[in-house]
Amino acid sequence: MTTINREATPEGDNIKGPNQLHNDLHDIWGNPRGLKALTIVNHTTLGLRFMVTGMVFFLIGGLLAMLVRTQLALPDQDFMSPDIYSQVTTMHGTVMMFLFAIPMLEGLAIYMIPKMIGARDLVCPRLTSLGYWCYLFGGIILSFSLVLEMAPDSGWFMYTPLSSSEYSPGLGSDFWLLGITFVEISALSAGVELVVSILRTRTQGMALHKMPLFAWYILAMALMIVVGFPPLILGSILLELERAVGMPFFEVAGGGDPILWQHLFWLFGHPEVYIIFLPAAGIVSTLIPVFAGRPIVGYGWVVFAITVTGFISFGLWVHHMFTVGIPQLAQAFFSAASMLVAVPTAIQVFVWLATLWLGKPKMKLPMLWIVGFLIIFVCGGLTGVMLALVPFNWQVHDTHFVVAHMHYVLVGGMFFPLIAGLYYWLPLFSGRMPSETLGKWGFWLTFSGFNGTFLIMHWTGLLGMPRRVYSYETGMGWDIFNLLSSMSSFIMSAGIAMVLLDFALHFRFGKPAKHNPWNADTLEWANSMPPSAYNFVSLPKIETRHPLWDDPDLPRTMAEGQHSLAVATHGRREMWGTDPLTGKVREIIHLPGNSWWPLFAAMALAVVCVSLLTRLYPLAGIAVVVAGLFLLRWSWENGAHPKAAPDAEVAPGDPPLHSRTMDGPGLWAMSITLLANGSFFLSYLFGWFYLWTVSPEWRMPETSPLSLVGLILAGVALTAGVVILEKLVRGLRQGKDAGLAVGMYSISALGFVQVAVTLWVLLSADLAVTETSHDAIIMVGLAYALLHGGLGAVLTLLQGLRVGYGYVGAHAPFEPAVVAQWWRYNLVTFWILVGALAVLPRVIGS
Amino acid sequence: MRLIIQRLTQQRVNSLGTPLALSVGLLLAGCAGDKSILDPAGQAARDVVMIWWVMLGFGTVVLVLVTAFWLYTFKRKEVIRTPAEERTIARRWIIGGGIVLPVASITALLAFGVPTGQRLLPLPLAEPPEVIEVIGHQWWWEVRYPGAEGGEVVTSNQLIMPAGEPIDFHVTGADVIHAFWVPRLGGKIDMIPGRVNKIRLEADEPAVFGAQCAEFCGAQHAQMQLYVEAVERDEYDAWLAARQTEALSSLAANDQQHETAREAFMTHCASCHRVAGLSSGEEGPDLSDLGSRTSLGAGIMAMEEGAVTHWLKHHQRLKPGNKMPPHDDIETATLESLGAWLETLTP
Repeated sequence: MTTINREATPEGDNIKGPNQLHNDLHDIWGNPRGLKALTIVNHTTLGLRFMVTGMVFFLIGGLLAMLVRTQLALPDQDFMSPDIYSQVTTMHGTVMMFLFAIPMLEGLAIYMIPKMIGARDLVCPRLTSLGYWCYLFGGIILSFSLVLEMAPDSGWFMYTPLSSSEYSPGLGSDFWLLGITFVEISALSAGVELVVSILRTRTQGMALHKMPLFAWYILAMALMIVVGFPPLILGSILLELERAVGMPFFEVAGGGDPILWQHLFWLFGHPEVYIIFLPAAGIVSTLIPVFAGRPIVGYGWVVFAITVTGFISFGLWVHHMFTVGIPQLAQAFFSAASMLVAVPTAIQVFVWLATLWLGKPKMKLPMLWIVGFLIIFVCGGLTGVMLALVPFNWQVHDTHFVVAHMHYVLVGGMFFPLIAGLYYWLPLFSGRMPSETLGKWGFWLTFSGFNGTFLIMHWTGLLGMPRRVYSYETGMGWDIFNLLSSMSSFIMSAGIAMVLLDFALHFRFGKPAKHNPWNADTLEWANSMPPSAYNFVSLPKIETRHPLWDDPDLPRTMAEGQHSLAVATHGRREMWGTDPLTGKVREIIHLPGNSWWPLFAAMALAVVCVSLLTRLYPLAGIAVVVAGLFLLRWSWENGAHPKAAPDAEVAPGDPPLHSRTMDGPGLWAMSITLLANGSFFLSYLFGWFYLWTVSPEWRMPETSPLSLVGLILAGVALTAGVVILEKLVRGLRQGKDAGLAVGMYSISALGFVQVAVTLWVLLSADLAVTETSHDAIIMVGLAYALLHGGLGAVLTLLQGLRVGYGYVGAHAPFEPAVVAQWWRYNLVTFWILVGALAVLPRVIGS
Repeated sequence: MRLIIQRLTQQRVNSLGTPLALSVGLLLAGCAGDKSILDPAGQAARDVVMIWWVMLGFGTVVLVLVTAFWLYTFKRKEVIRTPAEERTIARRWIIGGGIVLPVASITALLAFGVPTGQRLLPLPLAEPPEVIEVIGHQWWWEVRYPGAEGGEVVTSNQLIMPAGEPIDFHVTGADVIHAFWVPRLGGKIDMIPGRVNKIRLEADEPAVFGAQCAEFCGAQHAQMQLYVEAVERDEYDAWLAARQTEALSSLAANDQQHETAREAFMTHCASCHRVAGLSSGEEGPDLSDLGSRTSLGAGIMAMEEGAVTHWLKHHQRLKPGNKMPPHDDIETATLESLGAWLETLTP
């Protein structure tokens, strides 16, 4: 790979004035108005949409919290009935976690990451759009349940059997399971494309160790989303199947186990805490050096801490389940692991402290929120270590002490840094400065109100008040503390209202900001304020971690087009595809433009969601097919398609377009998607072995009902398909595409053979899926294999067609390599399934 | 030996507790509630409280120091240092605060905490402790005494235990997941359908403690309460003996006054409620000794004269959503006679 020095280009006659360049780029990247604004895929616009929508849900969640505090202000209140109170608390937690915290931070990352790493957009822009629409529709569906007074009411972690159809016969749990799964599509989309964007689209020269720390944090968050969300998606699917069809995964009498739900939920739920905390800590690590006026000390320490946190956080989930009756040894292990996570957190706290110590910190408004964060978060961390101690946990688990701890960690660890970050980046969003006076009032009211509410709540918990009680009687010693908590919570609300008012007013009345108002070091401040749709006229080569400190002139030279890719006449949306480690340029990534397909696909998925809710299963089936067609239609407009990049001409000296290589970001996107898929699959295997070994009334037939011969036959067809596909991809790598179309068609045929035989095995097994959890979970495994086999067959069929259209071939060899990954994955998981479901029971016996 | 340790720990609790509680501006008066963790009545709970005060003291010091250092950096005069000096200072902060401090604290905490946790485990003892089974229902408690002399005793919404000896509680859930928690005696344990969980608790002296379902179990989770009464051993044995099926049956048989009430009971109540010698319903709480209990409706109202009738008339208002159907179809006079009879069931 040649290193391209683009600093000299464009040369001679080609030089255009900055305005002309801007107009050219704007023609290609600019956002349409009117109805077509729904087609926008641009990360700046969608990031803002995510954040504004997140704020709306934050207000809804906050309103619910105020209802809770009103009810608890005095003993024996009947402001809300027990039933409504359960809905309100459940929805407060659900909305804040799933519809505010995660999407809000994703929105910030979607907005910031390309700007910070010197890219023009995220690497899968249509996926950003799909993610947004899934989030919006899922959020609306879920919130609508409140209006119908049918909201979920089993608590935000939906413990079954309480959430089962027997004990929650209404639609509440269904709203939760379907709505949340829908919203999770959004989180996974953002997770996948943030990972790939950070790894593959940093500007030239930005080696991994020169990347802003914020990008490290977001990389960790995105990877954790990718690995952490699938267990909950599996759990939600299983629970919804149990509710709708009666497959007894969690029902003891049918051989299921309610504790399996708790494992799957917390396998997601604990990493979730760090998914929320890491980006917020990323804001802290970004702001502190800027306001201390010096580089962060211990960049490597912070990266180490982020990595360790990411790994440890997947080994902590059982600390939410210490009272479940887990074996003592396991408790000791999870107790120690839970405490150990304090180490990477403490490292960060002391890195921040050392940076301030060695710098000249200024107490500007964003820093005020950072100091507030520190106090609250350290306090929440300390109670977290206390809670990790098993005997103490047994006492305060499920009391208001835990409620207080959780709010210290989440509000302190997420909300305070978020507000700090928003204040910090407001001038970038709007070109204007916020009001210091309103901001300070907002801070002090929020800070004192928060501590008044939740510091006291620790005490209420120690006095024995359990969480989630709709009322309490007088004489327990809880009255005064609850009243103080409630009063303080209204002070906190006033503070937050003031902050939001400040945000709203500043767009109109704020003083115009000067460029790079905080004297920051990172590339997002090289944007115009507010930024243009394409971010940068030209993409710089980065030599250091602090581009704007080391070259204050950089924003000007970038805007004048003195760096690379300052050409737009080809009509493509272009940016660099760089090496994940070194940041050397490898290819030009051309991005798809605005598209209706993400919106249409999300609408079809919304129809699936609503028709499952209303039990209109035929309609749901149709909508699934329609959504699939929309998604495939979307994937059609790739590579050498006329709407993507019909000709592959690049400026002399430039690397090729990614679709003309075997190295594009799509390979990475597929890998990361398969990582998520693998996490789902592992969760499934966990469920299978868990039920087999732990479930109290597990029943297993003497011999496996699955035909081993049939499964091996299907596996052979699949294996043959993969062998041929590998051969074709090897050929493409050497520039040969003879027999490509025929090859693809025959692979597809093998895929359909695999599907047909697997289907035969499934049908001939005659499973009683509503009677035993054994049959039900086998059914899910085979359905998984069928879905993957079917999709693989369809994708290869489409590849065959695309060869015919000339979109794929030796000139554009990229896509078969992507599809091959799917087949390989399918091969591995299929044989593991055969082993786990059909061979192992025969070997070990029931 | 154990007594000495007990006394020592009690002293420490007191000497540590008062100033710390005052320092956060809260009054210890709040500890009077009968569910307060801070007012332990058994060794397990006492150990946890001591750990709590130590942790609180240590945590406060850490929080105050870290905050003070942070704020100090804003006030401090700038010092010019060479890069090498900067690196040394940074490394000191990061290794000292980021690694040594948490690792040392965690080690100390585990050394403290693990032995305490051991005490709550139902490890085998030379003399096997008495077993009491508690079963959670939406939203009431079924309590069984399998070890009672003369056969198992079954009752509900009251728990009597002998004081001064360890008791093994075997708990499970009949419908959804509940949790058994007597805050003043020690930690809680989940009551899970299909499983039996065990926890060992001991009350120092005879007293009455509040207990509460601690795992959210539906709309009336708040009103799933229980009074736990620790009594002397002989009192406990007598109490159990009085609740043997034969003793209870004679209670009903010898009563000639309440014939109509008993008939009404057989028509309206018997399919769900058990009264020893009369019915064997299992859907709702056992009522065989209802009149002798401290409270009604799983802890929501005190047992006084007329209380049962009041409950029968208004139970859906007192505890909305509870599983007993409303009694609109039963005449007031019948409800009153039922209430009057049930109150006489005092062995």
